[in-house]
Amino acid sequence: MIRKLLRDPLAHFLVAGAAIWGALALTGDPVDPASRTIELSRERQAGIAFGFERMMGRPPTDAEMDAAIERWVREEVLYREALRLGLEDGDAVVRRRLATKMDELAGAEAEVVQPSDAALEQWLVAHAGEYQRGGAVSFEQIYFASEDAARAASGTESPKGEAISLPRSVERKSREEVAQVFGQQFADALWQSTAGPEWQGPIRSGYGWHLIRFQQREEGHTPPLAEIRERVEADWRSATIAERRRRAYALLREAYTIDVE
Amino acid sequence: MKRIGRSWAALAVMALSACNFAGEGEPTEAQRGDGSDTIELAEFPDRPYWGDTHLHTDISVDAFGFGVRLGAEEALKFARGDKVTATTGMEAQLARPLDFLVIADHSDAMGATRRLYDAPRMLIRDPTLRRWHDMMHESPEQSTRAVAELITAAANDQIPAALRDPERQAAATRELWDNHLAILDRYNRPGEFTAFAGFEWTLMPDGNNLHRVVMFKDGSAKTSQVVPFPGLDTETGDLWDYMEAYEANTGGQVLAIPHNSNLSNGMMFDLVGPDGGAMSADYARRRARWEPVVEATQIKGDSETHPFLSPNDEFAAFGVAGWELGNLPLTQRTTPDMFAGSYVRSALLRGLTLEQQMGVNPYAFGLIGSTDSHTALATGDEDNFFGKHTGVEPRKGRAMESQNLGTRVGRFGWHYLAGGYAAAWARGNTRAEIFDAFMRREVYATTGPRMVLRLFAGFDFTEDDWEGEWVRAGYTGGVPMGGELQDTGRAPVFLISALKDPEGANLDRVQVVKGWIDANGEAQERVYDVAWSDMDGERKRVGGKVPAVGDTVTRSEATYANSIGAAELRATWRDPDYRSGQRAFYYVRAIEIPTPSWVLFDAKRFGLDLASDVIEANVIQERAYSSPVWLKPRRGPDDAPRIMGKG
Repeated sequence: MIRKLLRDPLAHFLVAGAAIWGALALTGDPVDPASRTIELSRERQAGIAFGFERMMGRPPTDAEMDAAIERWVREEVLYREALRLGLEDGDAVVRRRLATKMDELAGAEAEVVQPSDAALEQWLVAHAGEYQRGGAVSFEQIYFASEDAARAASGTESPKGEAISLPRSVERKSREEVAQVFGQQFADALWQSTAGPEWQGPIRSGYGWHLIRFQQREEGHTPPLAEIRERVEADWRSATIAERRRRAYALLREAYTIDVE
Repeated sequence: MKRIGRSWAALAVMALSACNFAGEGEPTEAQRGDGSDTIELAEFPDRPYWGDTHLHTDISVDAFGFGVRLGAEEALKFARGDKVTATTGMEAQLARPLDFLVIADHSDAMGATRRLYDAPRMLIRDPTLRRWHDMMHESPEQSTRAVAELITAAANDQIPAALRDPERQAAATRELWDNHLAILDRYNRPGEFTAFAGFEWTLMPDGNNLHRVVMFKDGSAKTSQVVPFPGLDTETGDLWDYMEAYEANTGGQVLAIPHNSNLSNGMMFDLVGPDGGAMSADYARRRARWEPVVEATQIKGDSETHPFLSPNDEFAAFGVAGWELGNLPLTQRTTPDMFAGSYVRSALLRGLTLEQQMGVNPYAFGLIGSTDSHTALATGDEDNFFGKHTGVEPRKGRAMESQNLGTRVGRFGWHYLAGGYAAAWARGNTRAEIFDAFMRREVYATTGPRMVLRLFAGFDFTEDDWEGEWVRAGYTGGVPMGGELQDTGRAPVFLISALKDPEGANLDRVQVVKGWIDANGEAQERVYDVAWSDMDGERKRVGGKVPAVGDTVTRSEATYANSIGAAELRATWRDPDYRSGQRAFYYVRAIEIPTPSWVLFDAKRFGLDLASDVIEANVIQERAYSSPVWLKPRRGPDDAPRIMGKG
């Protein structure tokens, strides 16, 4: 049971949430509107300095840091006064921001966690289709406007086609590249054909009919994790965040009943 | 404050490492530059690269108000072929990815509606802004209304100071722009997908559209040295100054693309200078230098020509209905005397006239299409039209609703075109290669379909050139679209090939549009049918005219059949009306067989009951426009500028 819990992302979320909640409670950061003491933690200062650096591309000088802190303090004072007046009540922006914050909390841990190689390998295997590099073909084609003409020519030794501004021979192109020039229908049919040195077909395209002859064919493969780790990690991360948000919301939502008048 | 420690830098680094959020990873050196020397290039441009140069996202002041919540990241993902979720919740994916994208958000008040929306209500003091804030939060309809008010206010010079003050915007824009450029570099992949930096410069005197898309060649190292240049309260000369300074200071390159001339009430291609006096040669030279390409077709109508200007052109009415009535907010109606300054073909003619007068042609531009979509989704096809903006993303009522911009007069949803695309003949897919194709005008426009259009002009081409490697012959024996020929005393000959979109409709015909200045100094135009389907069979000219191709569209099903038309049309065409010393341009128009527009797809999908005239207006013949080739008189006594130095 415990081991299962340890693997459950939702449990992670709840534990992380509780930890953040606890930490916030300890530092007293969720503002007590009655308090008139503003504490400026090291983390807060770091955040202000970082905000400045992102904007200006360099760390602030002492004077700039002082000014930035003054601005932050001013905002904090106004914020607390606004809470005292109850201005957040019925404010659509505040409502939405808080909801967004809850959502982000759910995904927060997945934003920074470093997934293990094993986890990414597993992801790659499960989604291999999305990462497959489709291989490449080299082939010749001859064009016919009508199927009959193509079939008639297909038995001959060196068939003659009709003029069209499509390349007669194509070298080492991916399925996508072939589809860009000849259309998807042709590329799909070409990929389903068995490679061989003889003229074969006809296969159909958006233009008409084609006899084809393979020069070379390289099979597709899924690259090893090391080659595409960055992309796999980004995809894993965004999927994990989305999944955690979904499950967190589902759990919260379960406790509510909605009465529609 | 003094008791605070001094190691801000260390603290910032600490905070930074905690913020190492997910993304595409850090861009490589190759991704950050203009792509020169990053991939192997073809010997000569071997295929058109497809793109949209005119896409808006959530930092455009109007797009956000219209409801879009997708930003640059989603826009780039969508354009390169990923599946994204549109603002209104539908999943969207291009059947065919694009090769390049220019995100062109409005520079004026960039990000301002997003900030206004996010601002705490109590801190908004301006009553107009506060009202817009409330409307944006109230409902999508109210939000759309708020933007309509904002555009009208911009047209009438009544934008609240808080939104238009460049000083107040500067800091916010700086941060937005830097973030934006970082995203572009991450998605820019030489050889696979090109992400260009750009913005839209939105000059709109009295509501008349003088908008330009500004497109940079370079990566963030150079583009981050500027911020987008605001349009309100400036003029075109100021924009060119900005562009000139950018090139001088960074060593980079930039160009501007005028668009929606059809909504300019004759101002986009004026015969006079911006102050109303005679156009100066300097103005003409600068215009030609900075604006090599014009966007001729997009969602808000087609600007090639108008039946009033081209009464003998039976295909001139495409994408004109509704848009011809006036400027965008309809604060000023269009009168016929304005048309010549609003359409591309007449502008090319004016260019010849002005060149004859002062020795410089201000309107020697190439042609592209784009979308001008405000949904962050660069859709250009009839069966995937995601709407001009988020308020008209696919839903039942959108085709027949009147347009809330301006008045409710005469413009309806169904007047929107599904959008166009730009095709660039380049040697590879990089920023530098595609940008250079724009600069040399080796680009063309389509209304969405991806036809492959080739045009070469020379003096010695013959039918035999088709037998061998005719593209090589074209490049070695002549100039491609966008080029110039010096008159040799012989009639120019053109190699023209139009290959249908492999996923689309067959071709009806290919035409050459010629414009020239006759012996009396009058501008003339003529459309020649040079190749059409079944031209050697049943479809002979009748009374000098090529008969219509036919019509296979099943209206109620939004389908058509390729049982008519041709897969490819070729012509070796010699100008039969050439006169020695003539100043002329030639461009090619390729026309598809009739197909259903997005409106008929909507009718099928949502079960609409459309009036028969609306149905018939939405059986359309999509098309491609090549950039022109210009024939220039030999330098000689006849060519001396007649009014040199005027103005």
